[in-house]
Amino acid sequence: MRARYTWRAFSRELIFLALAAFFCIPFYLLFSIALKPNSELFTSPLSFPTSPDLGNFSEAWKGQAGVGLGRAMFNSLVITVFTVAILILIGSLCAYALARRPSRLSNALYFMFVLGIIIPFQLGIVPLYVLFRKIDLIGSYLGMITLWVGVSLPVTVFLYTGFIRALPRDYEEAAQVDGAGVLRTYLRVVFPLLRPVTGTVAILTGLFVWNDFFISLIFVSGSDRVTLPVAVYAFVGEYFTQYNLVFAAVTIALLPIMIFFVFAQRQLIRGFTSGVRG
Amino acid sequence: MASITFESVGKVYPDGTRAVDSLDLEVGDGEFMVLVGPSGCGKTTALRMVAGLEDITEGEVRIGETVANALDPSRRDVAMVFQNYALYPHMSVFDNIAFPLRCRRLARTEIRERVEKTAGVLGLSEYLRRKPGALSGGQRQRVAMGRAIVREPQAFLMDEPLSNLDAKLRVQMRAEISSLQRELGVTTIYVTHDQVEAMTMGTRIAVMRKGVLQQEGPPQELYDQPANLFVATFMGSPGMNLFRARIVESNGALHCAVGDQQLDVAGRSLDACRGREIAVGIRPEDLSAQVEEGQPALETTVVLTETLGAERLLHVGLQAEPVVTDDVLEIAKDIDATVASDLEHESHHVTLVARVDASFGPTPGAKVSLGIKPQKLHFFDLETGSVIR
Repeated sequence: MRARYTWRAFSRELIFLALAAFFCIPFYLLFSIALKPNSELFTSPLSFPTSPDLGNFSEAWKGQAGVGLGRAMFNSLVITVFTVAILILIGSLCAYALARRPSRLSNALYFMFVLGIIIPFQLGIVPLYVLFRKIDLIGSYLGMITLWVGVSLPVTVFLYTGFIRALPRDYEEAAQVDGAGVLRTYLRVVFPLLRPVTGTVAILTGLFVWNDFFISLIFVSGSDRVTLPVAVYAFVGEYFTQYNLVFAAVTIALLPIMIFFVFAQRQLIRGFTSGVRG
Repeated sequence: MASITFESVGKVYPDGTRAVDSLDLEVGDGEFMVLVGPSGCGKTTALRMVAGLEDITEGEVRIGETVANALDPSRRDVAMVFQNYALYPHMSVFDNIAFPLRCRRLARTEIRERVEKTAGVLGLSEYLRRKPGALSGGQRQRVAMGRAIVREPQAFLMDEPLSNLDAKLRVQMRAEISSLQRELGVTTIYVTHDQVEAMTMGTRIAVMRKGVLQQEGPPQELYDQPANLFVATFMGSPGMNLFRARIVESNGALHCAVGDQQLDVAGRSLDACRGREIAVGIRPEDLSAQVEEGQPALETTVVLTETLGAERLLHVGLQAEPVVTDDVLEIAKDIDATVASDLEHESHHVTLVARVDASFGPTPGAKVSLGIKPQKLHFFDLETGSVIR
């Protein structure tokens, strides 16, 4: 039986459409200001640009303070990809050991990781900076990746441990009886079953690292390893800011993430919502 | 193939729970041994100790001539079928079956050949590319079997592999597993709580209760000569009828005094029980609706009848004291908590079940004499539960 399309349904749809439009306002402002010439910026900031200026994007792409957005994007990509990959590898292995070898030691270690989530990482920034400067890790990929892995490991281990604890042991036991060693059991059987939580970890930490401004400003600012948010911030001057260039830079910075979401949306949602079935 | 030996095997968990107590059992080469018992009797723990998935606290488990206590599960060369199959959900049927062969680093061509041959035997050839999630319960069960047999292991260990299937499929798979095992001749330990499965599949059965082996032997032997009340009530469906009786002497012969009736037990040596109260058991099929002349019989009242097509189950009331021991209550609770509660509150009255010909159909309330062959009666000590022979 087909449900009737009622006035109530129509008005509900209308409300949701209005809400959706409301969420589009920041994007409208972002794109419209990014396309505006300097002259129009302060005369009619909210209107659509009368003569869109794509030159803002090429200007923004060149960047400020010697590092182009292309280079900054590459830096962000390298740091994010390596951080996420290392986090998934170390975090899942660590959580596997914590979840599958219950003992006082593993409980204590787990508690330390939870503490790592609770205590703000900003508290340790100054001593970390001093240490990193001593061992020459400031302004380097290795330094940033190491730092990010350390900062994000507690939440990664927390997420993986919870998931593994809920995972039936039968799969691992079956693999053991089938003749698999610990490493093969982990790589071939356990790790593929962690796909939903791996997706969560990748998105959470990936976005966190990609969007971060604070840590990057402190640890890579002034070097040629600056990340996108820091490179965008370079457009903000002390006395004068060209907002159309800032918005154009932000639009460029947004693109990789948006493209990723558009193409990976279905897989991501499937990853988040699916459990383990067999 | 290899024999499997349990020698005084015990399992105590860290919290002090004793799951298995001094288990002595020998499973011969190529034998199909069924471990059966109610939930928590230690049968699965015993199986997992053979697989190496549980540490052995006491005693020794030997696979062939090798003491397996400290051997890693991957090096025991046994294959296990789990209750929920434990098929790797991210792998195709082919990869699931091939997994144990890949662990042994066999050549690709050999893996392909063996997997395809196994799939052919189990009727899985057209499903090799599918994931377990896209298979029916029966097909998944076959994949689990395939993963076990493809390795040609020394022994199969099966942990209630049919419990997730519906009744019809269970009967079909029961026959398939039995014939496959006979064909391959691989030593098998099969764990189940279903006594029908145990009776139909095993060449030998071991009945366990509270971690202790109660009796082991061929199915018919356990059915005909149960060693104690527990085995007597556990094996058989419907279970053995039980009632209390006093052994009395009248006219120079021993009789069972059941309520106000006297049952002639000529030919049974019950001298040691003279004057004592014991538990008497009789299988439903040993109560006959036709009483021959001179045959001992029990006077009963029909409570209800159940027609099964070829035969009929008569539920009849008997004036007697029920047998309410721990063994009986445990079995009753396993069937249904209300059955156990009814049993505890029953007095001076016992309901017996008789398996009779379908043509015999008395109405409820009718008085019926049920004939008994004294040699078919089972006698048990009320205190120890042991059989009196």
